[in-house]
Amino acid sequence: MEDGLHSFLPLSPATLHILLSLAGEDLHGYGIMQEVARQSEGKYRLGPGTLYDNLQKLIQREWVEKLGRRAGDEDPRRRYYRLTLAGRRVLEAEIARLAEVVREARSRLQIARPAAKPRRA
Amino acid sequence: MLRRIYRCVLRLHPPGFRRRFGDEILSIFDHTKGKLPAFQLLMDSVLSLIRQWVLRPGFWNVSVSAPAPQSALDGVPSFCTLNPFRPRAAAVVPGLILSMAVFSLTCVAIKYSWIRVLHVRIPEVQFEASRWIPPSATPSGFSGRIPGPVAENQAITPHIPNVPAQIPEAASRAASAPRTPLPVAARAQKDGALQPSASAQSKAHQSKAQEIGRSSTETDPQAAAAQSLTTTTPPALDELSSLDAAARHRVIDGAIAIVTKYYVDADVAQKMAIAIREHERNGDDNGATDGSTFAALLTRQMRDVSHDKYVAMIYSTVTTHEHSPAPTAEEVARYRKEMEKNNCTFEKITILPHNIGYLKFNSFPDASICGSTAAAAMARLNHVDAIIFDLRDNPGGYSNMVAVIAAYLFDRPTHLNDFYDRGENSREESWTLPPVPGNRLADKPAFVLTSSTTFSAAEGFSYDLKMLKRATLVGETTSGRGHMGAEHRIDDHFTIHVPGTRVINPISRTNWEGTGVEPDVKVKAASALRAAIDLAEAKLQRK
Repeated sequence: MEDGLHSFLPLSPATLHILLSLAGEDLHGYGIMQEVARQSEGKYRLGPGTLYDNLQKLIQREWVEKLGRRAGDEDPRRRYYRLTLAGRRVLEAEIARLAEVVREARSRLQIARPAAKPRRA
Repeated sequence: MLRRIYRCVLRLHPPGFRRRFGDEILSIFDHTKGKLPAFQLLMDSVLSLIRQWVLRPGFWNVSVSAPAPQSALDGVPSFCTLNPFRPRAAAVVPGLILSMAVFSLTCVAIKYSWIRVLHVRIPEVQFEASRWIPPSATPSGFSGRIPGPVAENQAITPHIPNVPAQIPEAASRAASAPRTPLPVAARAQKDGALQPSASAQSKAHQSKAQEIGRSSTETDPQAAAAQSLTTTTPPALDELSSLDAAARHRVIDGAIAIVTKYYVDADVAQKMAIAIREHERNGDDNGATDGSTFAALLTRQMRDVSHDKYVAMIYSTVTTHEHSPAPTAEEVARYRKEMEKNNCTFEKITILPHNIGYLKFNSFPDASICGSTAAAAMARLNHVDAIIFDLRDNPGGYSNMVAVIAAYLFDRPTHLNDFYDRGENSREESWTLPPVPGNRLADKPAFVLTSSTTFSAAEGFSYDLKMLKRATLVGETTSGRGHMGAEHRIDDHFTIHVPGTRVINPISRTNWEGTGVEPDVKVKAASALRAAIDLAEAKLQRK
């Protein structure tokens, strides 16, 4: 199972951001877009085309499930999406991978720093 | 407006995607404020459209929840569709309007398209099925006109009027032509400029029928016309005839009436009428007491003012009758037989080096008789890279054959010329037949060889192709016969030949009468073939 999950890694930025935005709570499409923008501090913006293309893929892989309308929502056309258990595992695996990358990068950068100074004869 | 476009783009998405997310995407658009973000969303949807159709074929028809298969109510299998979409009732009206518009546009396109997609033509059947029309509608010499699309809807029922009105003039010119006069010619009501029927008639009256076509002088229209006068009456019979002033006056009255009514140019007709009346008053005709002398005198008087060598008064000792409206079946059969014997005057069909087709034909025979021969000749040359038509010994004939052969050079029915009939005050258009299925010559270089004896319909063929810039003319300036004449009976012994129909080219608005058709490349007739081959080879090499 773990091997199966790892075969999908690394995740594309869009997939990662979508899964991440759904990790906290169930959201509708517009909510996901706003959450992604918030998480990336406005540096990464998803268009509806990219968003729903990815959601389509994630639903098919059963990482995300479509919930339906929610009573009392201001726009009845909105549908909510939820991260599934499988989706959460993939996200966790990706975060772990990224953490490893960050850790590795930090260690490398610390080692490399003195060498980066120009030598004098 | 932007929202409408956005909605349209969304609708163009694959059905699966559209059904799953269409409403949601639109709701996002509706929550977006400002024109720029809305425009960005539109761009995003266009990219998405491409992405979904090109990269996501697996999702085209994936539905959110697959509809449960409909079970048959009574055990009868039922069909379900992948897309259960049903248009709303109000959409039926725009749908209907759209359908009608598309249908109308399709009909118009079919009607006016260059390629007649619905037209299936079988040349042999078409030629055999052509109908007879009265010769009065058909000045011959350059005869048997095909009504163009304007006159008749030839796309549906193309036909070639079948009017064997005369011996093809090749008969009197080319060595391969018939050697005996045909009754068809004798019965012809209207003839060409060369007056073969007048000549044939007079000769038929003589006990010894002379062969036509052997004399070199007959290649000259002037000489032929003159001959029709000098041989009209045997001297022995001439002595019996005697004309008094009253008889001459009656003939002059008749001639004036016919000339003023039928002659192509009203002003010139008037001048001729005044001239012969003047001569009569002056007593210039008093010496002409026999028919043939009087006919020759009147001819000269008319030609002096008209300068038209094809105006001719003809005298016959035997009673001339009104012409029957159409040749008899026997006459047609003889003409057909003669044409079969001569391969319809198609003398040479060959493919020269460098795949240059060469077609020499010595008349434009009636297409209703020789259509299949012409089709076979052209079929043999269908795969050539350039084609040469040799008209150096071609004295013309039927315009229906002009339309048949010219059709191979165009990919659409093409307006060749108009025939203006002064007597009828009518104008008929002549068009090429619709494109021949499988024809490959429409875009191939074409050359026409001409000589000073190329005459009448052969000149028409050359002139039309020159005006349409469809062929290069190589050789000599042609004879210059752009009018067509007809014989009109004055009384039992006198008939008058009057050029009454003018060919009018739609491009030049005139014709080649008197001037002849100037070739593009002027060379002696004898060298024309070599010159044309050189031109063709040069053109093919440039390609």
